[in-house]
Amino acid sequence: MKRKILIVDDEEVIRKFLKIHLAKLGYEVREAADGEQAIEELGKDDFDLLICDILMPKKDGWEVVKEVKSNSKTKHLPVILLTAKNEDSDMFKGYDLGASYYMTKPFTKAQLIYGLRLMFNDSPEEIRI
Amino acid sequence: MIRREFDLEDQDRKKIIITLRWTAIIVTSYLILFAKGRVTDLYLSYTLIMVYLLSNVLLSFLPKTWFSNLKLFYPLVLFDTGIVSFGMYLSEKMTTDFYLVFFLIIIFASVSRNFKLLMVIGGITALLYGCLLYSWGLLTSVESSSYTLRIPFIFIMTAFYGYLVQTLTREKRHALTLSEDKYQGLFENAHDGIILLRTPQWQIADINREVAKVTGYSKEELIQKEVFDLFLPEEIEKVRSYFEEVIEKGKGRADDLSLRKKDGISVEVDLSTQRIDLGDESFYQMIFRDLREQRKLEKKIRESKRNLEAIFDGIRDQLSIQAPDYRILRVNRAVTENRKTSFMELINRKCYEAYFQRTLPCENCPVSATLHTKQPANSIMRIPADNTTLQIFSYPILDDKGDLLSAIEYMKDITEEQRLQEQLIQSEKLAGIGILASGVAHEINNPLSGIIGMAEVALEEEDIAKNKGYLTDILNCAQRISEIVRGLRSYSRAAKKEELSFVDLNEVLEESLKMVRLASKKTSVEVIKQFQSIEKIRANVGEIQQVFTNLITNAFQAMNGKKDHLILSTRSFKDFVEVKVSDHGMGIPQKYLGQIFDPFFTTKKPGEGTGLGLNIVYRIVTKYEGTIDVESKEQEGTTVTIKFPARRVDV
Repeated sequence: MKRKILIVDDEEVIRKFLKIHLAKLGYEVREAADGEQAIEELGKDDFDLLICDILMPKKDGWEVVKEVKSNSKTKHLPVILLTAKNEDSDMFKGYDLGASYYMTKPFTKAQLIYGLRLMFNDSPEEIRI
Repeated sequence: MIRREFDLEDQDRKKIIITLRWTAIIVTSYLILFAKGRVTDLYLSYTLIMVYLLSNVLLSFLPKTWFSNLKLFYPLVLFDTGIVSFGMYLSEKMTTDFYLVFFLIIIFASVSRNFKLLMVIGGITALLYGCLLYSWGLLTSVESSSYTLRIPFIFIMTAFYGYLVQTLTREKRHALTLSEDKYQGLFENAHDGIILLRTPQWQIADINREVAKVTGYSKEELIQKEVFDLFLPEEIEKVRSYFEEVIEKGKGRADDLSLRKKDGISVEVDLSTQRIDLGDESFYQMIFRDLREQRKLEKKIRESKRNLEAIFDGIRDQLSIQAPDYRILRVNRAVTENRKTSFMELINRKCYEAYFQRTLPCENCPVSATLHTKQPANSIMRIPADNTTLQIFSYPILDDKGDLLSAIEYMKDITEEQRLQEQLIQSEKLAGIGILASGVAHEINNPLSGIIGMAEVALEEEDIAKNKGYLTDILNCAQRISEIVRGLRSYSRAAKKEELSFVDLNEVLEESLKMVRLASKKTSVEVIKQFQSIEKIRANVGEIQQVFTNLITNAFQAMNGKKDHLILSTRSFKDFVEVKVSDHGMGIPQKYLGQIFDPFFTTKKPGEGTGLGLNIVYRIVTKYEGTIDVESKEQEGTTVTIKFPARRVDV
């Protein structure tokens, strides 16, 4: 059974390459373009990981994390926050809200794999740095 | 008030006494030497007459003031009575002509008495003499007719002398009666204490109301007391010497004596005493004024004068007081210290000559304005000589009628202040660039992520057809970055420009909007542009851009990412151009409206806002003589209206 990952970002190109990378690594990937869509997707299905941008229209990443962590059904869902802002205060805010990992844009495939390995202890063999 | 009777002037008194004595001498001489049954001892008679004559000659040399003294008057009456009696005795006419003695006494007495009293005494004497003659049987003798005639004669003579006295004094009596009434009024109503004193004991004869008020004693308690009882016992020697001086000179002043009130408290007074004649008596009139109020007032005036002088000199900005013709009347210490000159070198020189080395008043002199309008005025003056900037205020000093007496010129050196202001604008600009940079970083990082990510994807992809699509994505991302960088360049170009140029406000608004969009990423805000073609204004592009980016950023933040309208509008009027930035954001609470332009006023958390944004906007707008107006309603939105004068347009 493949692990399911939800990618949330308002930048289409980012969703696109993330999807290619993750698919190659053997994950099942779903997409959302903003916070509202993300919450909708989370309600439809069970996921193993949420990769979420912070600055988005309608509902931003902070609110998505808050909702995920306050919902008993999704409380234990690990969250990787993506951001273009490179500020420590934002990173700590993310961890405070319950995010498991924090990645600053731009990032490489290797950084992504490292994050995934942290999230899933039983890392698949093909995940190599 | 004591019973006042009138006295003769010393001069008249002396005249009357001497005239009377001449009459007495002539009558006595006649009776002794020529009357029937004249004296036998001629030698003694001549001696007597000579003594009498000489005494009157001597008397005429005495000073006139002595004649009001009873010490002279009574011996004189006694002496004359003795001489005349002795003359009568010598001529053996004691029985018949003794009436002369009475007569003389009556006449003398009349000199200092009044007319009515004189007539009474004359009547009594005539009656007594009549009784005497009758008892001697002379009224029935052969010579009875001669004796009978003497009785009315005495009365007539009395009346005659009385008339003489009356006539001499009538004129004065009239004048004095009038002035006495005036005196009475003054005496009672005076605001100074007045005490009438009798010499030589300095007894209190009368006091006015004010005395009772100040001392606490009633009139009855003071009458007949010696005045010394009213003074402080320890000063009694000083008081005595003061009254001695008064006697000597007829009047005297003192301001170092104190009265003792009934309750024992002392009152410092200003005393003045002088002799006055009222009725048949002379008094010393002692006038005193309670000095406590005056001293208090003097002290207050002195203190407030000192305070004002201390403030005047203590102010570190230059102050001068100028006459309506610009002459310097006074300067404070800051003027002499700053200009390294002395008060004497500036005084009475014209302000523009002394301060600015000019021959005419400066064009934008606020003092000129104040001289014309009697209103405060101010202006800013650049002094090229020492490269300083002065802010000059002027205030009018008006008299009670509202006419201008002088003007105060207050010169404040604002060179440093202006330099700091420039620095503040500069640092706010830098802070703005910082915020922009972080916004830009965010904008760039997104396409950069795309480039890196897609490049890695492409590297692993063997299929050329698929790779083409990835490369297109990479290219798009790179182009986005390029656009952002191009936008930044125009901003940095504007920020660098120091000089003034003709600025198209519409263009700057557009650029500023782009910049803010870059920095805030609030794409959901719908911007409505209502631009009219407006005249350019002469300004520094960078500063105008700073104004607009600050205002638009505020508007974006106020809308907090909610989908809403931002209206940017420009309009042209006859004298000015108008720029409006209006949002439908959260608005500014009423209580903060008065503070929004204050430096460092912010409602944001530390680190999120400098509190300088609107302050800088205000400074820049006013620098170009523009006005700024903020209307705001909580939860409804804010409209900022800026107006710049359009007079500088000539491109």
